[in-house]
Amino acid sequence: MQILIVDDSAMMRAMIKRVIKLADVPVDAILEASNGAEGLAVLRQHDIQLLLTDINMPVMNGAQMLREIAMNERWRGLSRVIISTDGSTVRREEAAELDVRCYLEKPFSPEVLRDVLNEIADNECAGTGQP
Amino acid sequence: MSSTKSPTTNVPALVSPEAVEAMFDAVRSVAEHSFFAMAEPQDASSFYETAGQVPKWLVATVEFEQGWLMGAVSCSLPERLAHRLFDAFTGRDPADPAPSTDLVHDLVGEFSNMVCGAWLTRVASSRTFTLTHPSVEPARALGAAGNLRLLVAINDLPIALDLHLQPAQGNA
Repeated sequence: MQILIVDDSAMMRAMIKRVIKLADVPVDAILEASNGAEGLAVLRQHDIQLLLTDINMPVMNGAQMLREIAMNERWRGLSRVIISTDGSTVRREEAAELDVRCYLEKPFSPEVLRDVLNEIADNECAGTGQP
Repeated sequence: MSSTKSPTTNVPALVSPEAVEAMFDAVRSVAEHSFFAMAEPQDASSFYETAGQVPKWLVATVEFEQGWLMGAVSCSLPERLAHRLFDAFTGRDPADPAPSTDLVHDLVGEFSNMVCGAWLTRVASSRTFTLTHPSVEPARALGAAGNLRLLVAINDLPIALDLHLQPAQGNA
């Protein structure tokens, strides 16, 4: 599985990367981007199976990126997870419409993210993390 | 917990006692879940006594906006606390070479981003706010308090959280 992490914080990307390595998921590569525009560029160049994205980012935010992804047939099978401080009901409803499988609110413990990753690898998603 | 408030039009919900409680709850949640740290409310006298001995602060600010409502949350913390939070977040051994200033600032910015976002979710969960990328600046002393200032200790070191609200344009 190839995974893309999109977050404007290098430290948060590093933390997510560390948790992925601790999770029981098959990983071929972990790629990174610091905003939605960079994320789309990586998606166009690589065969990504799992996207972990923040919402509030400069240049292009996560919601804008997810709308672009939803409009493109090429990314129909892409698993999408939001990891954001934005836990508003409006954002969660929007995420559900954009085929987001899990919605993780920051702050989160590494164990919660690990469980989400393991469940995605098993084609399931934690009920509490659904948008 | 201690707070100071000044009158502000159009934003009563963000400076209410419930909002102050929500701010502390947000800080405690961020400290515990992402930094394995303990946050405790502080009274003003003990806070400023400890704060007066801090030689260097870092001030991380995140601005938020939702329609006519604009403001910012600033977290002012000793540089020493920033390094402790860095070690907790990354699992860094204190004996390892010190992290770069950029990485420490990134982490403090993410801390403030999480506090601001978690607080807004608690006080206005039906609204979607746009948050800016955090800015982080060093300071020799604590700046002036915002419309609301919350005094907290994280692992016994002081941290001040200031809410700055901008006057609503055309809504005064």
